Amino acid sequence: MINFQYLRTTTAKSALALLSKDKNSKFLAGGTNLIDLMKRGVTAPEKLVDINHVPLKQIEQIGDKIVIGALASNTAVAENAIIKEKLPLLAMALNAGASAQLRNVATVGGNMMQRTRCGYFYDTEMPCNKRQPGSGCGALGGFNRMHAIFGTSDKCIAVHPSDMCVALIALDTIVVLASVKGERKISFKDFHRLAGDTPQLDNNLKADEMIIRLEISVNNLAKNSYYLKVRDRASYAFALVSVAAGMEISNNKITAIRLAMGGVAHKPWRLTASEDFLKGKEPSIENFKQAAKLAMTGAKGFGENDFKLQMAPNSIIEALTVAKSKA
Amino acid sequence: MEKRVLKDANDRVDGIYKVTGKAKYFAEYELPGLTYGVLVTSTITKGKITSLDTKAAEKAPGVVSVISHLNKPSAPAYEQEGGSPFKIFYTDKIFFNGQPIAIVVANTFERATYAASLVKVTYAKEDFNTDFEKAVTDVKAKKLQGQPEYKRGVENAYKTAEVKIEAKYHLPIETHNPMELHGIIADWRPNNQVTVYAKTQGVKATQGTIANVFKIPIENIQVNSEFVGGGFGMALRTWPLEIATVMASKHIAKPVKLVITRMQMFTMVGNRPAAVQTIGLGANKDGTLTGITHRAFGETSAYENFTEGVVNMAKFMYQCDNVNTQYTVVPVDLGVPIWMRGPGEATGAFALESAIDEMAHALDMDPLEFRIKNDPEKDQQRNKPFSDKNIKEAYRVGAQKIGWNERKNKPGSLIDGQWKYGFGVSIGVFNANRGRASVKGILKADGTLVLQSATSDIGPGTGTGMTLIASKLLGIPGDKIKFELGDSSLPPAPSQGGSATLSTVGSAVNDVCVSLKSTIAELAANSNMDATSNFVDVLKKNNLPQIEVTKQSQAGKEREDYSMYSFSIHFVKVKVHSLTGVVKVDKIVSVGDSGSIVSPKTARSQMVGGAVGGVGMALHEESIIDHRYGRYINNNFADYHVPVNADIPEIEVHFINKPDPYINPMGAKGMGEIALIGFSAAVANAVFNATGKRIRTLPITPDKVLAG
Amino acid sequence: MQSSDQESNHGDSRRDFLKKSSLITAIALTPSVAVKAAENQADERFAELFEKIPLNLTVNNKNYKSAVEPRVTLLDYLREELHLTGTKKGCDHGQCGACTVHVDGERVNSCLSLAVMNEGKKITTIEGLANGEELHPMQAAFIKHDGFQCGYCTPGQIMSAVACVNEGHTNSRAEISEYMSGNICRCGAYPNIVDAIVEVSKGGIKA
Repeated sequence: MINFQYLRTTTAKSALALLSKDKNSKFLAGGTNLIDLMKRGVTAPEKLVDINHVPLKQIEQIGDKIVIGALASNTAVAENAIIKEKLPLLAMALNAGASAQLRNVATVGGNMMQRTRCGYFYDTEMPCNKRQPGSGCGALGGFNRMHAIFGTSDKCIAVHPSDMCVALIALDTIVVLASVKGERKISFKDFHRLAGDTPQLDNNLKADEMIIRLEISVNNLAKNSYYLKVRDRASYAFALVSVAAGMEISNNKITAIRLAMGGVAHKPWRLTASEDFLKGKEPSIENFKQAAKLAMTGAKGFGENDFKLQMAPNSIIEALTVAKSKA
Repeated sequence: MEKRVLKDANDRVDGIYKVTGKAKYFAEYELPGLTYGVLVTSTITKGKITSLDTKAAEKAPGVVSVISHLNKPSAPAYEQEGGSPFKIFYTDKIFFNGQPIAIVVANTFERATYAASLVKVTYAKEDFNTDFEKAVTDVKAKKLQGQPEYKRGVENAYKTAEVKIEAKYHLPIETHNPMELHGIIADWRPNNQVTVYAKTQGVKATQGTIANVFKIPIENIQVNSEFVGGGFGMALRTWPLEIATVMASKHIAKPVKLVITRMQMFTMVGNRPAAVQTIGLGANKDGTLTGITHRAFGETSAYENFTEGVVNMAKFMYQCDNVNTQYTVVPVDLGVPIWMRGPGEATGAFALESAIDEMAHALDMDPLEFRIKNDPEKDQQRNKPFSDKNIKEAYRVGAQKIGWNERKNKPGSLIDGQWKYGFGVSIGVFNANRGRASVKGILKADGTLVLQSATSDIGPGTGTGMTLIASKLLGIPGDKIKFELGDSSLPPAPSQGGSATLSTVGSAVNDVCVSLKSTIAELAANSNMDATSNFVDVLKKNNLPQIEVTKQSQAGKEREDYSMYSFSIHFVKVKVHSLTGVVKVDKIVSVGDSGSIVSPKTARSQMVGGAVGGVGMALHEESIIDHRYGRYINNNFADYHVPVNADIPEIEVHFINKPDPYINPMGAKGMGEIALIGFSAAVANAVFNATGKRIRTLPITPDKVLAG
Repeated sequence: MQSSDQESNHGDSRRDFLKKSSLITAIALTPSVAVKAAENQADERFAELFEKIPLNLTVNNKNYKSAVEPRVTLLDYLREELHLTGTKKGCDHGQCGACTVHVDGERVNSCLSLAVMNEGKKITTIEGLANGEELHPMQAAFIKHDGFQCGYCTPGQIMSAVACVNEGHTNSRAEISEYMSGNICRCGAYPNIVDAIVEVSKGGIKA
């Protein structure tokens, strides 16, 4: 690791000003992903701007919106009484990720910004279009058991590793971004990108922007929410596939439904077709199976990850079944 | 002796240091002028270094030196290139990806790490193969004999049996991954005096290796290794990286500390070799085994050979007149393997104990009943009686504890919602070794006893076991006894491996204590004291501050008369999710039949630990290589899964705890290996019982269960 | 180099920054060896002396003032600078938990935290857990239940276990196991570790 320059600031405004001065600088929040990547030589910023003292840690309900500051820790969000009561899906997803120690320092914004865990991305001696555009994709034709089945490109089949983001996309989250010019809001589904021809770009955050906060409208999904994470060991492992499911059921009809998957795409993957199908229908196993089938439209395996074509729909059925039965 | 209180006589004697952070592992010694080494490793898999440019690295802040094949100091044993073992820095050849090719030394760890990234290397690449399964099927691959073929009765008798099964089993590479990173501190001082702080399972072995490589007198070398953060076999040899560090210290005349990275733990300090095994079993319809054939291919490296006991168990574990085995090692372009807990026997037991289960199923017999029916009365391989074997009792106790009567012989019978339940059993067996060791005992008038031996404790609780032996024999409380180890200047003992330490060193402790006791009795008699007088009074009366004795102990003729083994029976209950393929181990019962239990608390922990390792082997562990590049792709703790706390259910351990009358004075046999051997088969058998799916390739991950 | 609330004067790359801003002042204050290094235009060797940042930490109730390179992790700072080697390096990438310490009372992986990020914070390591000769109940419980073998993961396990109890994640064995899964034990002492935590969480052990 080079001996980078380290700066500390207490306001978002000064943080953005410092960032804009130097192309090869990065924000440092919890650091659990960035420092790891720097140790592996995947990234080598010459300047780190420590933003941990910027006051963006609020978790509060304002009207019908729940607002979460970008620097709230994963633990703070997962353990927050409002979140546990009103957005249990988010709490469940957060607790399914990483370890207690990592969640204590990892921030909401950092979680959104974390890079893929693809082994080719991490090994600077192997080809990776995300790390080094044009060098090729090692996972294509290589070890791709953990990789994407949706929205892949011939440049990259990596997955976004977050659990939290799967819940956030399901919850129709709004992301508030800021630059020196001011704030803008984008829908969470538009935050992360598919790899396409530019796998080096994980998301649509501009170089001079930072994540300020998240806004989530209060919903009625809390009672029938479930986050299922299927992994190789019982904890502290990345998802083979994961499913965030939230339903509102009234008179044995699904009146509202949110469904998203993790571990299957370059971004958290919202299952809109399945949602549309289930809306207004009975929460029956037959309908869940049909919804799971619809979710798989366009799915494609790359050899070692072919099992996900079976595991993904199975997991959707399981997640919906558990979510339904939670009442 | 420092103040140290044992609340319970069975508590670990060094527990207090481990829970307070005072236990010092190799990397934690402070030496004046200490420098930090970081390795530069090859990025190709096979070929030659054509240039190695260290200019930028040498100019970087804090850098003291960069040592490579271009400027290495003299190591006389390496002067002639080639041969085995691999001679680090005395060749420009690359044998595997990640091979250490230079060591950068700087005044801080961060500076050394950065400077190592500045070394520029060019290579002439050659074709390579890292794919073991491919090498096995490639007729052109150079095949080496692993072990002489074994035959008893008719070869391949299973083929003509009333009931037969034949199946192929695959094990991937596993990596030991002890929690402590490997490395060494080397301090080469003037006049060729060398002190090292090592992570080793054998201080005498490390001392001998360094003496041999540098051709300096063995007395010049002091090896310290008091606390070792786990080994599981990987610290049974002195690795090239350790020699490289000694060379660096010699070169710069300063102490050098090297701690390798977790990534480097996968490439340069050994692994459990991959294996492909075929088992053929034949039986009469009544369940009598009539033929066992076990053929195995094991992975080795292209530059050093490695063999282990993969097919041992098939030769004696079951009553069967017709047995033949074959074991062949196949080289690939990877770092050389080394024994990993349970070593080859664990590899073999997965195949044999899975096959036994398959045969029981084919016979529609309870697999426990099938095993009991074919339990041997004597060792047919060596034609000798077993010194001590209580397998039938172990089966009975374990079956009762796991709730074996709930098990249904028809797979897939126990269902609760999406979860399917199943039970599995397997046996583990390992040679009850006993080597030769010396122990010095110093009995002091202050009421304390110091025992010394150059053995190791990589975790099982060597000091605790030895203290309990001495405490029992001399009636001295454990906190008045200090067992010193991990120091090459102490009386010699073998490396800690093969489950032999308690048997080997414990016997010498026994002899020392017996001798001290008789000396005290003589002194008492000579000074007209009662024969039962306290040794403190006897020493004081005789004006002796202390008495000393050193004893060497080793096995006698009894090993020619008896076949000596430790046994374990593993019972496992699993649940398998029918939609996701997730396997959860629900309950574990491990029964040890390994003679007397000297140290009940640490013995139980060892069995528990073996079961946890077994869960890893069965469900999680696989070191994956991209064979296009010859590089490990999951070389870290996030992607190479070992069990975490949430994977492990409550584990019940039971010991038969009957003395082996022949093995040693304590009647105790080792259990480090049997705690793991066979365990993975018990899991695979339970998964079969739950689902009807027979998975013959480890690890049993959800994708394999779904594919079934 | 300053380290707080700076908005100006630091936008340049590291080398430019060194050359332009602090070089002159620095030389005036430096020992001759550094001046000589600078004269030789040994940019990197010179840089080594100045690329440190002041750091003020409280570790186990003791205050430490020093200067460190920003790239030094809290783990390496504790082990190599302060010689508090109870905190272990098991993976150096946040994947094993051996380096777990408490920062302002919360458990964190010290390997993924830069020392300088912890300016002004209170760190507790395994060495600071006992009250003099009196063990913390969790330390005593680990001995009683044999919650370790080789002992290398043990400091991290104990720091994590203490936090697990403080956080209230001890309502069942399953919950303890889940919240202790960030600490890998290769010797496999997990059930014993859970036994120790169960006992402490019930207030059942006195050191």
